[in-house]
Amino acid sequence: MRNILALIQRFYVTLAFMGLLALSLFMLFSSNNYHRSAFVEHSSDLVGKVYNQRDKLAQYLRLGEINDHLALENARLRARLPENYLLRDTSTGDMLDTAGVLRYRFRPARVINATINRDMNYLTLDRGSEQGIQKDMGVIAGQSVVGIVTSTSDNFSIVMPVIHSNFRTPVRIKGFFGQLTWPGGSPQRAQVDDIPKHARIMPGDTVTTTGFGFTFPAGQLIGFVEEVDMLSKESFHVITIRLSTDYRKVNYVEVISDLMRQEIETLQLRQDSIDGTDRP
Amino acid sequence: MALIVLNNLLRILFLILLQALVVSKILLLDGLILPWIYIFAILMLPFETPRWLVLVIAFGTGLVMDYFTGPMGLHTTACVVLGYMQPLIQRLLAPREGYEINERPTIQKMGLPWYLTYGTILTLIHHVVLFFLEVLRLHDFFYTLIHVLLSVMATMVLMVLGQYLIYNSKPADL
Repeated sequence: MRNILALIQRFYVTLAFMGLLALSLFMLFSSNNYHRSAFVEHSSDLVGKVYNQRDKLAQYLRLGEINDHLALENARLRARLPENYLLRDTSTGDMLDTAGVLRYRFRPARVINATINRDMNYLTLDRGSEQGIQKDMGVIAGQSVVGIVTSTSDNFSIVMPVIHSNFRTPVRIKGFFGQLTWPGGSPQRAQVDDIPKHARIMPGDTVTTTGFGFTFPAGQLIGFVEEVDMLSKESFHVITIRLSTDYRKVNYVEVISDLMRQEIETLQLRQDSIDGTDRP
Repeated sequence: MALIVLNNLLRILFLILLQALVVSKILLLDGLILPWIYIFAILMLPFETPRWLVLVIAFGTGLVMDYFTGPMGLHTTACVVLGYMQPLIQRLLAPREGYEINERPTIQKMGLPWYLTYGTILTLIHHVVLFFLEVLRLHDFFYTLIHVLLSVMATMVLMVLGQYLIYNSKPADL
């Protein structure tokens, strides 16, 4: 016993080191997949407030730029007002039909913190579950895709942006469907796989969302094709795209909720139980 | 004594906020250069700080840093390794007559060559653990290595410049 005590006394620093190292490694690996959820639950209030203050200051310094952006958006929206349309003929009006059933609702939010230089980047929004934000909702800025909500606290939420190594979403280029991933590195570029070789994809083609699932409406801009590799022997293109969202400047975003999600899910579930199959 | 403790606590807090709110927002070469200057707080602990205390302070600093940037445990791990190594490196680099009582490792006291050795070794240890744990992949080993080396340089430049800015009372005679 005395020997053990003597041993502990002699190596207590190393033992303490081992203990703390084990503890921190345990924290890292036990929370790896959803580590951001822990962040939200434990610290969103304090850390969220600090980031909120910082963002207020940073925003003040960029008011001019934000102003330009809003003016542009105003102009675009004003162009869609019914008064701007000359109705030559009642049957061929170009008017925006507002009598349809609303499917997507957009909630504005502000980005109060963003990382862009990691492998797994995240944005923090100043809206949370109390303001109606839920997990798996899509997030866009202007017309272009930003990411997907991964976790929420009462007043804040965390978004996994396109520039996160686990981000996946189906995309469409010229009518062909592919899969968007982010290989790391530059926060301005991403990659599209699974587009067959016979598709004639050219640099400059638009990459948009498909509207499958409940995250994004169809036709939201993701980016533009930058480079198509012609040499690989695979039967699918590997396409490098330039993202239309500049994550260094993203500030105001809109969170999309799909109001028909439940109805569609119920329908699919019913069909599945008829077929006796499981939909992933 | 209480003043020294308060002084060090404030420095740690200030550096964490500086890191989280300013330095981490700087994007150089698409994020290839990423300085982590908050470890300056651990490098600056006085020479006679007990080893267990350095460990505990490093652990706490890493934990708070993780709350700001996540994932939980990443900075904590790197800081614990740093806190374990810091007294060892100090012992390794000790001058023949030992350190003076109540002294802190600064350029002004120890000279630029000593500080560059001390700082670079410890920053390198911390950054290697941090960046390789974050990536946890070996297939872009060289990318991560360049990432580490450039970031170590950036951290060192900031730390040295910071010291000349803050403690500019008297330049050390080299």
